Amino acid sequence: MSSNPPRWADRFLEWYCHPDLLEDLQGDLYEVYQKRRLESGKRAADLTYVWLVIRSLRISAIGKSKRLKNSIFMMTANNFKIAFRVLARDKINTAINLVGLTIGIACFLLMGLYVKQEISFDHFHSKKDRIYRSWVKEDYGEGKIFFNSVTPLRFEDLFEQNFPEVEAAVRITQENHLVGRGENRIDEQVAVISPDFFKVFDFEVIAGNREVPFQELRSVIISESYARKYFGDDDPMGKVLSLQIAENIEDFKVSAVIADMPHASSIRFDIAVSAENSRRFYGEGAMNAWFSVLAETYVLIRENAEVQNVNDKMQDVVMGYLSEEVERGQYNIGLQPLTDIHLNPDVPAGFAPVSNPQYVYILGAIGLLVLIIACINYATLSIGQSLRRAREVGMRKVLGAGQSTLVVQYLSESLLVALIAMTIGTVLTVLLVPTFNTLTGAQIFLTFRWWHLFAYLGVGLAIGVAAGIYPAFVLSGFRIVSILRGGSQGGGRHVAQKGMLVFQFLVTVFLISTTLIMKKQVSFMQEKDLGFNYKSVVSVTLQPDPAAQRLTQVIASGMENGKLLKAALQKHPDVTDIGMATHVFGSNGWTQLAYTDDKNVFRRFAFLNVDANYLKSFGIKVKEGRDFEEGNGLDERQSIIINQAAADYFGLENPVDDKLPGKEFGEHRIIGVTENFNFTSLHSQVEPLVITENAMPILQGISDFNVEDSPVPKLVFTYTGSNLAEVQNILDKEWEAIFPNEALDFSFVDQKIQQQYENEARLNKLITVATILSIVIAILGLLGLMVLVVNSRIKEIGIRKVMGATPITIFALLSKSFISQLLVAIVLSVPLTLWLMSKWLANFAYRTEIGVGLFVVSGMAALLVAALVIVYHTLRASRINPVESLRVE
Amino acid sequence: MKRESLGELEELVLLTVGSLAGQAYAVTILEEIAEQAGRKPDVTAIHSVLRRLEAKGFVTSSMGGATADRGGRRKRFFTLTVAGRKVIDETMLVRMGLYKKLLTIQGS
Repeated sequence: MSSNPPRWADRFLEWYCHPDLLEDLQGDLYEVYQKRRLESGKRAADLTYVWLVIRSLRISAIGKSKRLKNSIFMMTANNFKIAFRVLARDKINTAINLVGLTIGIACFLLMGLYVKQEISFDHFHSKKDRIYRSWVKEDYGEGKIFFNSVTPLRFEDLFEQNFPEVEAAVRITQENHLVGRGENRIDEQVAVISPDFFKVFDFEVIAGNREVPFQELRSVIISESYARKYFGDDDPMGKVLSLQIAENIEDFKVSAVIADMPHASSIRFDIAVSAENSRRFYGEGAMNAWFSVLAETYVLIRENAEVQNVNDKMQDVVMGYLSEEVERGQYNIGLQPLTDIHLNPDVPAGFAPVSNPQYVYILGAIGLLVLIIACINYATLSIGQSLRRAREVGMRKVLGAGQSTLVVQYLSESLLVALIAMTIGTVLTVLLVPTFNTLTGAQIFLTFRWWHLFAYLGVGLAIGVAAGIYPAFVLSGFRIVSILRGGSQGGGRHVAQKGMLVFQFLVTVFLISTTLIMKKQVSFMQEKDLGFNYKSVVSVTLQPDPAAQRLTQVIASGMENGKLLKAALQKHPDVTDIGMATHVFGSNGWTQLAYTDDKNVFRRFAFLNVDANYLKSFGIKVKEGRDFEEGNGLDERQSIIINQAAADYFGLENPVDDKLPGKEFGEHRIIGVTENFNFTSLHSQVEPLVITENAMPILQGISDFNVEDSPVPKLVFTYTGSNLAEVQNILDKEWEAIFPNEALDFSFVDQKIQQQYENEARLNKLITVATILSIVIAILGLLGLMVLVVNSRIKEIGIRKVMGATPITIFALLSKSFISQLLVAIVLSVPLTLWLMSKWLANFAYRTEIGVGLFVVSGMAALLVAALVIVYHTLRASRINPVESLRVE
Repeated sequence: MKRESLGELEELVLLTVGSLAGQAYAVTILEEIAEQAGRKPDVTAIHSVLRRLEAKGFVTSSMGGATADRGGRRKRFFTLTVAGRKVIDETMLVRMGLYKKLLTIQGS
C-alpha cells in the first residue's frame, strides 16, 4: 500500500516504543501522516512521519521497553566490568598484550607524526589553496633544457600586470650579507621580500604593521629569536641593524618583528628587507632580465578564478615580450601549488630543500605494518587463549547468550586493552619525541589540538576492533555441544591463525633484511673510495674583495686573499697540503657550464677553478699527462685538466695537448687527464669536469652558467695533528690576524660528504627503530603463545617426563609448529625484500649488492630469537616436577 | 505537599482536554490548539505532555474509536479528572485576580 509511511520507520517505532503506548501513538502518527499526505503529497508526508518517529523517541516513551534493556547498549557497563575481570585474572597474558599493542601504537604514532608533518608542509597558510609558486622552463630541444623554480625578478610584475586572475604576486630572494658593524660581523642569510608579502602568507607579525611592514626603504624585519640574538631583551623596534650591501655598509631600522617561522614551512627567513631595494642590490640589468633567475615568485590567485586560465594565456603573454628572442613554446612559465612544493621531486627545488615522497610513504607504511603486527599479536594470543575460555562460552550460550552478544563482549575486552594501550602509547610517544628527534635527525613537533583527542579515541576504537574482531568471532562461534563434551574445536581457524603468525614473522624478517640492506648501502656510500683523500681535510671559505662584481674578479681576489692565509697557515707543523679552489667536495652542486660545440651539439660540463696545489692536496691521480706546476706561467694562463668522463664525453681519444671542441673558447691546452673521482654524491654518475687555473678562456666560450654551491674560493688543508679541536684555534688566530672584520667559516670535508647521505642515513635509522620494535613485538607474541601452549600441554609434558623424555625432546615438541611457520615466513620474505629493495637501490648510481648472505643473516637472527624464547619455556616446563603438573586440575 | 504547577503547554493542553468534552485525543487536541491559540506544536510534544499530565493524575485515558486512517488502531481519549479540574480552576483564579488588578490600575 503506497499510502503507508516508510516501513522501516514504523519498525523502528515499534522496536523502541513501550508496548502499552504503541497503539494510540502510532495511530495518531498515522492520522497526522494521512492528513499531511493529502495536503502536500507522499514525499513530504514520509519525511514528516520519519521526523515524528524520531521526535517521539523520548524517555517517557521507551522507559520500560524490555528489548532495549536486554540489548548490547545496556550491557556495555557490564561487559566492561567482565572484561576488566578477565584481564585482571590473566596478568601475564594481559601484560604481553598491552605491551605489544602499546609498542605498536607508539611506533605508529611516531611514524604517523613524521608523515603527517611531511605531508602537511606549508598547509598552515589560510590561503594555501590559492597560492602558487611559479617556475620557468626554457626548452630549446636536444636536451637543452633549463628548468628552475627560482625565477627572474620581473615575474612579479609580469603576473600582476597581465593576469586579472592574479590577486597579488610577491617574490622572495635569499642571499648572504654580513650583518653588524666593526668586529663580530656575522654572515647571515637575508631575505629580500615584496612589501605585500604578509598579505599572501599567514606568518605572524608580532610587532609592526602587517599591511606596511617596511616603514621606509631601509627598514628591516627580524624574527623573534633574531631580535633576541641582536638586541637581547630590549625592544627591537626602531633599532638599527647594519648590512653590508656590495662595498657599502648600510643601516636598516627594525620596523617589524615576526614570530619564528614554523618548521613545516618551505619559506624561511630571520631577516628580511624590502624588495624595493632590488635595483640597488642587483643592478638595473637584473630588474628586466628574462634569462637570469634570482627570486622565488609566489602568486595568489583570486577566489573563483581558475589557474588554468592563467596557464592558457601564458604563451600569448610571453610572446608579447619575447617574440624576438625565443620561439613559441620555448620559454614556459608554470605554476605549482604551494602545498605541492615540499614533496614534489619533479620540480627543481627553490631555496628550501625538497623531501623525497618515497621515503615518506615508506615510513608511513612501516608504521602501519608494525601496528598491524601488534594487532595480529593480540589476535593470535586471544585465540590461543580460547581453549581456556571455551567453557565460559559454553556456559554463556547455554544460558541464552546469542553470538552477537558474545562478539560484543569479547570486543569490549579488546577495546579496553586498546584504549589502555592507546593512553600509555600516547604518553610514551609524547615522552619519546625528543629522543626520536635526536636519534633519527627528524624534526617532529607536537602541537596539541582538541580534535586530536577525538582522533586518538577513534584510532583506539579502530585498533580495538581490528585486533579483537577475529578472535571474537572465533570464540563466539564455538558449538555448545562439543565444548561441553570437552572435545576440540574445528580445524578451520588454525589455518587463519597460522597465516597470521606467518604474516607477523614475515613482516619482522622483511624489516630486518631491509634494515640490513639499507645499512649496507649507506655505509657503502660513506666508505666507498671516491678517488681522493678527504680524511681530516678542512675547508675555509675565503674572503673575496667586496667590490668584485664579475665571477673572475671574485675568484681572483678570493685566491689573492687566500695566499695571505696560506702563508700564515704554513707555519703550523700540523697543517699540510694547502690548496685553493672554487668548490670543495660534499657541496650541493659545482658550477655547471654549457655551450654548443662546433658540431652543433649542446654540451654541459662541471667546472672547477683551482690553484696549482689543489689536486695534490686531495691526492687526485692524474693518469695521463701531468698535474699543474707551481709557478709555471703557461699553466697559470691556459692549461686545463679534464677528467676521464670529460675525455669520453667530448670524444677526445688523445686528450693531452688537444683542445675542447668549441670555437669560442680562449687559448687553452689540455695538459692532463685525471681518473674519475666522485665530486658529486653517489646518487649520480661522475660528470664531465674541466679544471683550470684561469677561468677566462673557458668562460669566454660558454653560453650558459649555473651554480648552486657558492663559487667563492675556498682554501683546503689537511690537518695531521691528533686533536681536531685545535683546528678551530689555529684558524681563529690566523684568520683574526688577517681579516679582523670578517666572520670565519670553515668545515670538515668528510662531514660534508657524510651529509650528502643524510636522508638515507635518517631513513635507515627510522627503519631500524621500527625493526627493533617489531622484533620486540614478535618476541612478546611468541612468548605469550608459548605460555599458552605449555600450559595447555602441561600434563602431556609431565607424562612424557615420567616416561623419560629429555629436555631436547620437549624442545622439539614445543618448537615444531613455530619453527616451520617461521621458515615459511623467511622464505616468503626473500622475494618481497628483493623486489622492494632493488627498487630503492635504483635511486643510486653506485650501489651495493644485496647478496645471499644478508638473507641468511636475517633468517638466522629471526630463528635464533624464536629458539631462545622456546628454549626458555622448555627449561621452565621441563623443570617442573611431573608430580606437580600431573596433579593440576 | 507541594502544589503541582503547570507548564504553559501543559495548561493549554489541560484546558483543551476539558473543552473537548470526551472527544480529546492527541490529534484533536493538536487541531483545537492550532485553531484557538493559532500555534502548531508537534504532535509528539502533545503526546509527551499528555503522558506527563496522566502521570500527575490530572487526566485519565481510555482506548476506543479505531478508524481506517489510523490503520485500524484505537485512539486514546483523555478526560479531565477532579484533580485536573481543581488545578485548572486554581490557575485560572490566580490569573483572573492578577488581571483584574491590572485593569483597575491601568484601565482597559
